Amino acid sequence: MRGQENKLFAHIDWTLFGVYGLLVLFGISNVYAAVFDPEHPNLFDTSTEHGKQIMWFGIAIFLGIIVLFLESNFIRKYAYSIYGVTMLLLVGVLFTTPINGARSWFGFGGVGIQPSEFAKIGVSLALARFIDKNSMIKERSKSAVIGGLPTLWGLLTFINKNKEIALIIGIPCALVLLQPDAGTFIVFTSFILVLYREGYAGNILLFIVIAVIIAVITLLVADTNFMLLFTKIKLSGKTGIIIVLVVLALIFAFFIRSIVMKRNRKSLYRSLIGSFVVAVLFVNFVEIGYTNILQTHQKERIDLLLGKIDDPDGKGYNINRAKAAIGSGGFLGKGYKSATLANASQRHVPMQSTDFIFCTWSEERGFLGAFILVSLYTFLLLKIVVIAERQRSVFTRVYAYCVASIFFYHFMINVGMAIGLAPVIGIPLPFFSYGGSSMMSFSVLVFILLKLDSERKVVLQ
Amino acid sequence: MRNIENRKYVIALIFLIIPLIFVVRLFYMQVVDDKWKDRAAQISENRITTYPARGIVYDRNGVKIISNEIYYDIHVVPKQAINTDSVALVKLLGISMEDYVDKMNKARKYSRRKPSEIVRQIPPNEFSQIAPELYKYPGFFEVARTLRVYPKQIAAHVLGYMNEANQDDIDRDGYYKSGDYIGRSGIEKMYEKELRGQRGVKYYLQDAIGVSTGKYENGKYDTLAVQGQNITLTIDWELQAYGERLMQNKLGSIVAIEPSTGEILAMVSAPTYDPNLLVGRHLGANYGLLAADTLLPLQNRSINSAYPPGSIFKTIMALIGMQEGVITENASFPCNKALAGCHDHPTAMNVSDGVKMSCNPYFIQLTRRIVQQGKDRSIFKDAAIGLDIWAKYVHSFGIGGDFNVDYPTNVHGNVPDAAYYDKHLNFRWAFSTIQSIAIGQGEVLITPLEMANLAAVMANRGYYIPPHFIKEIENGEIPSVYRTKKRTMVEAKYFEPVIDGMWRVVHEGGGTARRARLDSIAICGKTGTVENFKRISGKVYQLTDHSNFMAFAPRENPQIAISVFIENSGFGGTWSAPLASLMIEKYITGTISDTAKENRILNAVLIPDAEDIIRK
Repeated sequence: MRGQENKLFAHIDWTLFGVYGLLVLFGISNVYAAVFDPEHPNLFDTSTEHGKQIMWFGIAIFLGIIVLFLESNFIRKYAYSIYGVTMLLLVGVLFTTPINGARSWFGFGGVGIQPSEFAKIGVSLALARFIDKNSMIKERSKSAVIGGLPTLWGLLTFINKNKEIALIIGIPCALVLLQPDAGTFIVFTSFILVLYREGYAGNILLFIVIAVIIAVITLLVADTNFMLLFTKIKLSGKTGIIIVLVVLALIFAFFIRSIVMKRNRKSLYRSLIGSFVVAVLFVNFVEIGYTNILQTHQKERIDLLLGKIDDPDGKGYNINRAKAAIGSGGFLGKGYKSATLANASQRHVPMQSTDFIFCTWSEERGFLGAFILVSLYTFLLLKIVVIAERQRSVFTRVYAYCVASIFFYHFMINVGMAIGLAPVIGIPLPFFSYGGSSMMSFSVLVFILLKLDSERKVVLQ
Repeated sequence: MRNIENRKYVIALIFLIIPLIFVVRLFYMQVVDDKWKDRAAQISENRITTYPARGIVYDRNGVKIISNEIYYDIHVVPKQAINTDSVALVKLLGISMEDYVDKMNKARKYSRRKPSEIVRQIPPNEFSQIAPELYKYPGFFEVARTLRVYPKQIAAHVLGYMNEANQDDIDRDGYYKSGDYIGRSGIEKMYEKELRGQRGVKYYLQDAIGVSTGKYENGKYDTLAVQGQNITLTIDWELQAYGERLMQNKLGSIVAIEPSTGEILAMVSAPTYDPNLLVGRHLGANYGLLAADTLLPLQNRSINSAYPPGSIFKTIMALIGMQEGVITENASFPCNKALAGCHDHPTAMNVSDGVKMSCNPYFIQLTRRIVQQGKDRSIFKDAAIGLDIWAKYVHSFGIGGDFNVDYPTNVHGNVPDAAYYDKHLNFRWAFSTIQSIAIGQGEVLITPLEMANLAAVMANRGYYIPPHFIKEIENGEIPSVYRTKKRTMVEAKYFEPVIDGMWRVVHEGGGTARRARLDSIAICGKTGTVENFKRISGKVYQLTDHSNFMAFAPRENPQIAISVFIENSGFGGTWSAPLASLMIEKYITGTISDTAKENRILNAVLIPDAEDIIRK
């Protein structure tokens, strides 16, 4: 039907490719500005981070072209194998010597490879493959409908009923926690969005929202005490939350009694009691986790985020410098290569070419630039959703949602951290942060999607 | 299944909402809220302040009486101070280890990347030994600062002193920052704005460790320090120094004025101190010692103390009497000792006699005519009317706040009027109640500066120019008030008989100030012997009289008007008059003819001890 030479780029979604290319371009120009050193002004100088980033981009394009040469069926067929290889790499990396306290890197003569970045590809493919194969079986739709108010045993039954999915995501989660790498662990939780889209775990999003609200309130009052109204009884903040929960439960119970028909009441009462028990357990879990399990610096990051402590030159140094850099950008920015905080010669903002790369961009390009960048990412995410929803292949759709979820989490946490809306978690901003592994893995994620999408019309042939 | 299809909208919504929150937040941080811009400037910019040299102060002949000397503060940036050999450093800087540790802790607490002071004001000779070693201690560096130095060691009270600006100063005037010095008293305070100049600022970009990485915006916002304006004072430093020598071991004041201009030639307040004591590192300790001294060396008695004027006040009574027409220059009053105590002397036949003999009853009777002019049938109301007229006259002689010297003070003499007595006396009063004001006792108070100004009024025959210290301001104007004559309410023609009396006080037998006589210069003067009292544990004791003398010379074309006030030393003619004559001779001729007189004054110890106070 088509000429062989034409096949490689046939039906490629050029819009997605264009957004990808634009982000990489912006990214490299921004790394150049961030680490600009007058002694190494050459953009392609591979002793500099921008030079290396260009080199990684070249390698990523090379990998991408290889992907484009593959058949969709090949990718689908070897999804589990790819997953297996990346899992083996994750196991293997645990036997390396730690760098900065974590075993996350394979070193090849000065070049570091981070297998956890590639594990995202493996998990995405495996998840797509599994859900594709099992799309018509099990009672997942039922669990979605009757879930009612989210309950802990609801989550447990979910895991019980979907052991395979729990394993596909759980194994890499466990492995990166062993490194330890909390950032990547959190990225793996992004697949919840995919599961949600695919009908698993009914009201999991609502569950998460409620859980986050309860968690934040619990953390805010964790070390506080208050006097019970009209008395001299001193109560801990936690007790206060539980009292509030009791009151809420009683109010709901009252509504159920007065509004709902008698025959429906029983199940609602059960859900209410279940939810109440889960909420109380959850409050205790968060409180104990916060006071006893989290390490001091992690606790501090949460306290900083919640505004419980304010220490701009000490514990809050990173985030304070990052916000100062972004905030000082103004509307139009200080101009290209004119950052006075977020660049390598000033070094006020730490990790300004990797985790805090957004600072350089926002300081130099101002609100206008930051707005364009945020819009570009939003466009990318929505574009991927559109691509996902036009697939007839479940595999491709699930895969596309995996890609979108991963990008979304990276974007949300990285930018959120830099502007003080998320705790400080060191994960890269896709296509922007300096780093070979992330550049390659994010590019490959995009190219696989481009390839799968390009064959959407031949899937059923 | 439809239900599940719709979940794509939920996901799309999430993908929209989070970026929307980010955009709002970014807009707030970058466009609305200026907090982060300030914070960024604070982090990335380094303001280096360059301090201007403070203006130099010269005496009337162009001799430096205040100048500057460079001192060095040692500062530290804690973040740069690594591997400090603290034992050696402490030895080099000459401070104690505890002090060093304490200062370093404070510095770290203040800021790890901003400099803090470790040692203050190391004099140049000590610093020359420190400088070549300092490079071994990264993070430590010197900051040059100028401090005041008073080369002639004179006029401590007039010149004043400086210390660090406190929070009140910083709040009141945005110019000052913590650690800045500010004129605290005297000329240093009065002419602070002129003397201080304008600080310069240089902006540098700095990196995270605090190392400069270049000029901010190519120095667009940098300003140069502007040196303070130099000023010239009316003080004659040699006369001032001589006056201070004469006043050693005495309590009191000398004020000398050039009558034709109102320029203050000398102002001595005894006891005095070396103004260099209140400079630099030892200011605090020295100030403490001076402040604790019971003789009040920090008090500027010439301006900030008001005393009863005693007999010198009689000159004004005679002038008012003649101007009001209640007497003529030939008025005679008997020496009625029932009115007031007096010494034995022939009856005063005219005003000149009255002044010469300083007859107390003479002036009480004279003043009664001024106060009780019979304008009302009630003597009480009549006295009130007359006293107000009298008070107006007295004010016109510059007494009681009618002029402002260029010196930070709010002390003035006191001229009681009817309202004053109505307030302070709880019974009806007429002249006889308050008659001691006629001889400069009682409620009348006058500062030594006002006394000297009174002498200037006599010298000028009826006017004065408000006394002042400022002669020239570099690139500036002297306030016009110090060039404008203020006239008294007494016409010039009435002055001659009084001046004649003042001349006879010094030059004739029976005059009270013959010790002031000079062969070469015609001095006109008037003594005062001021009764004074002290309340000690509820009981009022009379103390040894204050010795007071005002004079001007020469009689024609006067060049100097002077007041000398020596506390608790006896008759005006005994100590103050000869001391004044020495000052006059020194100023006009530059030499002293009568060294015996000079030695008598120099060697006199007139500081009362506790027993003197009770004795009389």
